[in-house]
Amino acid sequence: MAAAGPGAPTVPGPRRRSAGVAAVAGGAIVLALVVGSAAIGPVAIPSGTVLAILAHEATGGAWPGGACPGVGSSSQCAIWVEIVWDARVPALLLALVAGGALGLSGATLQGVFRNPLADPYLLGLSSGAALGASALYTFGWFAASRAVVLPAAAFLGGLVPGTIVVLAARSGRRSPETLLLTGVALNALFASILASFLLYNPAGNIPLSFWLLGGLGDASWTHDALVASVLLVGGAVLVGRGAELNLLQLGPDVARSLGVDARALTRLLILAATLLTAGAVAFTGVVGFVGLVAPHIVRRTLGVDYRRVLPFAALTGGIFLLVAWDIAQVVVPDVVIPVGIPTAFAGALFFLYLLQRRDRSGALRGDAT
Amino acid sequence: MTDPIVALDGATVRYGARAALARVSVEIRRGELLALAGPNGSGKSTLLRAAAGLETVSEGSIRVDGEALAALPLDGRARRIAWMPQDEPEGDDVPVVDYVGYGRHPYRAVEGAANTGAGGPVQTALRTVEMEDAAARSVRALSGGERQRVRLARVLAQETPVLFLDEPTAHLDIGHQLTALAALARLAHAGDRAVVVALHDLNLAARFSDRIVVLSRGRVVAEGRPAEVLSPELLRTVWGVDAELKRDPRTGLPFLLPRTPSVGPVPPREPAAATRPVHVVGGGGSAQGLLTGLVDRGVAVTAGVLPLFDGDTLVAEELHVPTVVELPFAPISEESRTNLRRLLGASVAIVVAPFPVGPSNLANLTELLPVASERPVILVDHPPGAGWDFVDGRAEATWRELVDRGARVVPDAATAVSLSAELARGEPTSPSAPSRGKTLSAPPPPNGPVEGA
Repeated sequence: MAAAGPGAPTVPGPRRRSAGVAAVAGGAIVLALVVGSAAIGPVAIPSGTVLAILAHEATGGAWPGGACPGVGSSSQCAIWVEIVWDARVPALLLALVAGGALGLSGATLQGVFRNPLADPYLLGLSSGAALGASALYTFGWFAASRAVVLPAAAFLGGLVPGTIVVLAARSGRRSPETLLLTGVALNALFASILASFLLYNPAGNIPLSFWLLGGLGDASWTHDALVASVLLVGGAVLVGRGAELNLLQLGPDVARSLGVDARALTRLLILAATLLTAGAVAFTGVVGFVGLVAPHIVRRTLGVDYRRVLPFAALTGGIFLLVAWDIAQVVVPDVVIPVGIPTAFAGALFFLYLLQRRDRSGALRGDAT
Repeated sequence: MTDPIVALDGATVRYGARAALARVSVEIRRGELLALAGPNGSGKSTLLRAAAGLETVSEGSIRVDGEALAALPLDGRARRIAWMPQDEPEGDDVPVVDYVGYGRHPYRAVEGAANTGAGGPVQTALRTVEMEDAAARSVRALSGGERQRVRLARVLAQETPVLFLDEPTAHLDIGHQLTALAALARLAHAGDRAVVVALHDLNLAARFSDRIVVLSRGRVVAEGRPAEVLSPELLRTVWGVDAELKRDPRTGLPFLLPRTPSVGPVPPREPAAATRPVHVVGGGGSAQGLLTGLVDRGVAVTAGVLPLFDGDTLVAEELHVPTVVELPFAPISEESRTNLRRLLGASVAIVVAPFPVGPSNLANLTELLPVASERPVILVDHPPGAGWDFVDGRAEATWRELVDRGARVVPDAATAVSLSAELARGEPTSPSAPSRGKTLSAPPPPNGPVEGA
């Protein structure tokens, strides 16, 4: 074993990889995915043109050579610009920020509940938020300022299951099963109310599949900005909480003896996770399992330290949802399936795999090597 | 004497209606290792939790350096008081050095990330618990004892003037129990720290602590230097355990030798004047359960006639039961018969084990015939189908004759023990044969005779 010399930093553990390298790699992946994803869609646009449109629009028209070099028809070019810049890019940015919010929310919930299977979807937070948001449509409330009020309504809707799971986790035997079964029940309950809302919905202006299975087709720059600001607010609350989450894993009493008010921290973090979930769900509907998968990928690659898990779960969640969005657009020719289908397909299989990882004591464990 | 660094004054902690800690006043001073002792549920952990600020004190107060504990901010508390629970969740799979570094959290405002370098508090703490080589290992890969030491290191890394440790030697082998407590004692005796440990092992407490506080049912029942506090009387009243108090010849420190039921050496126990003994007849190892059962209940016991080297004889010897002993396979001599008659005459009841009867020991049964009408004779039934009469039916005839004269047959040794123990105490015997349930709900530990200490 390599002993630390005087003043030397300590021996790096087997799972301590450089966070800096991971951040650069993650950023490169995001950039490549954004460019690549912009070329994906029902309308075939030459990839060179897509690149030029991206460069032209991102630089505010300063890019030499114009948006569509070599394309004769300016009306054709205008349509392509509109498709790429006003439909595709907002959708893929929405995937990034909403996935980031869900990944961060999942990591937070897993830390608070000390349960590697916690996830905003599995705990019922997402369907609660969807119920809150869809109520606006169903009852025609705030039709004028809908986009802004939507996250607030989703947040209020998410607070109901948020409060219930906190109480469920606090009372009695806090086994992983109790928490998950509470989530299952809440999910079923909210989904049934949601379904009756949408069937009753006289205007019929929002499809059931959007709320239940998620979608990015309704994306716009405004929506992106709203979700991004929710992600920023949630992220700001969580900055510096990673170390406290680490201590919380030793139990609320030990955390308290080390100077962390576990109760207040739990309340704050549940609020943050609910807000993040609501921000995503309000504009994407219920997209499951992002918050489950993203933190696990981070733990596998960068270790369990929440100071790293939190930011990288956001990054990984964004990448995960963006990849899912690409798959949703190409898996069936000429059809864009709801983005929640690929995430649920991958996530549910991963969930089953995690359930197989019970150790001898019967505890559920998802972060093992 | 210096001012106490932590002072509990009439502190009461309630869980619902139950007071887990009832008006407890304890002063903790720098430079001392204070041991908390007491049976399970006596309030040791609650006292530590309350003093660490983890329980709400409903009455009384807890002060740290004169300031009310409840008024201290959590960060400030964590820089003054460290607490280690008996158990904690398994937690995440982090390297040992990170885990111990958690102890530096209260200092993050000044230190930033925990200083895990050589000479820093984390490495120093790891060295104290002899785990410096494990710094890069994962905490989940540690054995129970290693894990306990790493937890101790986490608390030491907190560098607080007060340490509250709940069973710090749990899961440790004897060697590491000693090194851990020695390290804690050194830490305390260096002068500026107070270490409070809840310990189940009274001998460790006696050896390492400067002061012992004994709790029972949430109250302080004894307090003082180990030599003053630890006594057989205290063990009997608080733990319900009979023990002998010895002194380490080299250190002069007291240590207690509990009389674990049915094991270990026990001082000679004369039949008490207050209660007459129960006489046990057996042989061939058939009476071991009876002997240990009765002795455990604090009943005075005599035995015989038993052959030398017989299993029953060895047990009787170990339990210091006065026994009439005869040479093996030799017929019971006249002298032994006289001694047996003397013991039978002095007994309050006679219990007969299901022993095999041969020509040499038939007298053990026939000698009972004259006394069977005078005093209770309890016959433990032979297991069905077992041959035990090796004297052509004479033993069975004597057995029947004893029953005719009023002897009672019971199904097993446990019933015989509870029945004869009741007789020895002069308690009324229920008219029906005592059930097994009665045996299980036996009276609390012996308040019978204890001498010799």
